[in-house]
Amino acid sequence: MKKIVLLGLALSTLVGVASAQNVTIKINGYGGTDPAVVGDLINRFVKPAVAKDNITVVYEPLQGDYNQSLTNLLSAGNAGDVFYLPGETVQAFAATNRLLPLNGLVSSTPFLAALNRTFTVNGKLYAIAKDTNSLAIVYNKDIFDEAKVAYPNANDTWTTFADKLRKVRQALGNDYYGICFPADYARMGAFAFAAGWRPFDSQGRTNVNTASFRRAFDFYTGLVKDKTAIQPSDLSEGWSGGCFAKGKVAAAIEGNWIVNFLRDSAPNLKYGTAPLPKDPTTNRRGNFLYTVGWAINANTKNKDAAVKVLQALTSVQAQTYILEQGLALPSRSALQRNAFFTKNTPESQAANIIFRGSSDGNVQTYSAGRYTLNDFQRPINEALTSVMTGQATTAQALQRLQTALNTLQRR
Amino acid sequence: MNAQQRSVVAAAILFLAPFLATLAVFFVYAFCRAVYFSFTNYNLFDQMNFVGLRNYAAIFGDNLFLSALRNTLLFSLITTALQTILALLMANVLNQKVKGITFFRTAWYMPSITSSVVIGLIFLWLFQRVGLANYLLTQISNYGSAIMTFLLVLVAVQIVQVVLERARRLPASWFDPALAVVSALIALIVTWLLVNFGVVRIGDNPAVNITYYATQEKLFGFLPVPLATIIAQNVFTTVPTLMLFFLAGLQNVPRALYEAAEIDGATKAQQLLYVTVPMLRPVTFYVVTVGLIGTLQMFDQVAIIGDAAPLESIVTLAYFVFTRVFSGGVAEAGFAMAGAVILAAITLLIVLLQRRFFVSDEAFQ
Repeated sequence: MKKIVLLGLALSTLVGVASAQNVTIKINGYGGTDPAVVGDLINRFVKPAVAKDNITVVYEPLQGDYNQSLTNLLSAGNAGDVFYLPGETVQAFAATNRLLPLNGLVSSTPFLAALNRTFTVNGKLYAIAKDTNSLAIVYNKDIFDEAKVAYPNANDTWTTFADKLRKVRQALGNDYYGICFPADYARMGAFAFAAGWRPFDSQGRTNVNTASFRRAFDFYTGLVKDKTAIQPSDLSEGWSGGCFAKGKVAAAIEGNWIVNFLRDSAPNLKYGTAPLPKDPTTNRRGNFLYTVGWAINANTKNKDAAVKVLQALTSVQAQTYILEQGLALPSRSALQRNAFFTKNTPESQAANIIFRGSSDGNVQTYSAGRYTLNDFQRPINEALTSVMTGQATTAQALQRLQTALNTLQRR
Repeated sequence: MNAQQRSVVAAAILFLAPFLATLAVFFVYAFCRAVYFSFTNYNLFDQMNFVGLRNYAAIFGDNLFLSALRNTLLFSLITTALQTILALLMANVLNQKVKGITFFRTAWYMPSITSSVVIGLIFLWLFQRVGLANYLLTQISNYGSAIMTFLLVLVAVQIVQVVLERARRLPASWFDPALAVVSALIALIVTWLLVNFGVVRIGDNPAVNITYYATQEKLFGFLPVPLATIIAQNVFTTVPTLMLFFLAGLQNVPRALYEAAEIDGATKAQQLLYVTVPMLRPVTFYVVTVGLIGTLQMFDQVAIIGDAAPLESIVTLAYFVFTRVFSGGVAEAGFAMAGAVILAAITLLIVLLQRRFFVSDEAFQ
C-alpha cells in the first residue's frame, strides 16, 4: 500500500513539474498579412530560442478594429500574454493598468531612443518597438524625366519642392498632377512640426492659432487649391499610394509600407525616394514616427516566459530578417549600419531615407497623447477639407478647429 | 388545470424556452446592466462607483450628443415618412396584373437583400466629387436646353394630337400611350434638327463640383447634406422590404370595394386615397413602427462613411454610443450608457405616441 502511495505521489509530482514547464504564450496582433509574417518570424526565431524553456508560442490575430478588440479582451481578462501595442494608443492602454511595465525586465538601450520615448508614460516603459516608420517623398522618375524637371532631393525646401511639382504639371498638362495627398493630419502634421508647431503645450492643450501651424496649413491646402495636388478620392483611390501607382501623379508622401504595395501593384513604375522638404523659414524638417510595439499583459500567469518571447521577437536576428525581407524597418539602432541600407535598389534607398527620417528634425510620434487619435485628428481633417474644397477660408477653418479642439480637451 | 392542459402548457414553455432564454440574456439582462452602468462611472476596467444622475446631466452639455440627437430625430422622421409613402406607391404599382410582373417584383426587391455595406460603398462612389451624381448633373447642365426643347415639343405635339382626335369624336386621353410614342418621335426629330442647325446649343459647362460628404452645408437650412445622402441610401434599401408588407396587405383588400368606387366614378388617385390607404392601416401601423425603430437605431451607414464626412453632420445616437465605448483603452462606458438609455427611451416614446395617434387595427373590423 505504502509503495502505491509513494508511486502515486512521484507520478503526480512528475506531471506537476512537466505541466509547470510546458508554458503556452499567446500572442495577439493584427490580421491581414501579419499572421503569415509573424508566423514565419515565430517559426524561424522565436520557437528555436524559447524551445529549451519548454515555451510554446501561438499567434492569435484580432480581425477588424484592433484597438477595439484588444480593449474587449483586456477588459474581459482574455487578452494574450504578449500583444501589439500601436504607438498612438500607449497612453490609452496604459491607463487601463493592464500593461506590464518593462523597466528592469527588458533592456531598452539597443532600441531607437525616440521609439522608447513613444512607449514610455510617466517613466514606465510599456512596450518594445517591433519596427519603425516615418514619411518621405516618393516620386515617379518617368514623370519627372518626361517633364524635364529635376527630381526632389534632400536640399528641397517647401518652396523649391512646390516649384518642381508646378513645373511638372505645366509640362504635362491637366491629366497629371504634381502630388497626391489626403486632407489628413497624418500628412499635414509633419509640415506643421517642421514649422515648429507642437501638438500639445505644457498644459496639454492644442493651439492651432499659431503662425507655424497656419503656415504649414496654408502650404498644404494651397497645393490643392492651385491644383498642383489632388486628393486620392478625386482619382477614385483610397490613399496616396493608390494614385501614385496609377502613374498620374509625380509624387506622394508615404512611409515604407508603399514599397511592398508598389512591388505588387505597379512593378514597372520607376520610383525614387527623397526626405520630406524643409520649412524655408526654420530650415528644418518635420516628420511623423509610426510604430507598433510588443507589450506584455500585466495579468499574464507566465511573466518570465512572456519576457523571453518578447526578447526573441525583437532579437537582432529577427529584426535583420524582417529588414532584409523588405517587411519592415528595424527598431534597433545598431541595424542602421546593416548592408541592406546601402544597396542600390529603390527599396533599399526608400528604407534608408525613411529610417533616417525617424530622427531627422522635429519628429513626433503619430499619436494624440491622452486623447483618441480619431477624436483629435478628425476636426483637423475637417478643417483641411473645408479649405481644400473652397468651403471656408483658412481663418474660418482654424477658428472652427480651435473651438472643436477646445471642446474635446475640456472633456 | 387537468393533465391535458398541463401538457399543452409544458409543450408551449418548452418551445418558447430557447427564445425566452435568449431574450432574458441578450435583452433583459443586457438592458438592466446598461441602465445600471448609466448611473456609474464604469470605464470597462476599474472598479465602478455610483454617480447618480451625473452622466445624464453631463450628456446634455455635450455638443456631439446634441448633434447626434438632432440627426437621429431628423433621420428617423424623414426616412420613415419617405419610405412608407414610396413603399405604398411601389406596392400599388407592383400589384397590377400585367405580363412580367414577377420579374419587376424580384428586380425591385434586390436592394433589400444586398448588404448595406455594399450599398453604402456604392453610394460613397456615386456621391464622390468625381462620382456619377456630379457627372449626371454636368450632363444635364450641358444638355439642359436640348432636354427642355424635347419636352416642350413633346407636350405641344401631344396636345395637338389629342385635340385633333377629340375633334374627330374619338375618346383620346391626355396621356394616351400610342399618341405619346408618336409625339416623342416627332419631338426627337425636331430637337435633333434644332441642335444640328445650331438653334439649340449644347453647353460646354465646367464639371459640376458638388461636395456631398465632406461638407458642413445644410439642405433647407436644417438637414446636413451628408445625412441627406444617408437618407437617400436608407430609403433605397428599405422601401422594397416595406413594399412587400404593403403588397401582402393589398392582396387582402376586397376587389368589391374598388369596383364600387369605380361605379361611383372615383379616379385611380381617389381609389388609392379613399380605399387603399384606409384599408391598409394595420399594415401601415406595422411599417411605420418597424421603420421608426430601425431608423432610430441606424448605425452601419454612418460607420461606413466614417471620416469622409464631418462627424457632426452624420453622427447618430447609436454611433455616438459606440464610439464612446469602443475607442481603445479606458472608455466612458457609464456616460455612453446614459446615451443608450436615452435612445431607448426616445424609441419607446415615439412608438407609444404613434400607437396612441395612429389607430392600428380597425380596418377589417
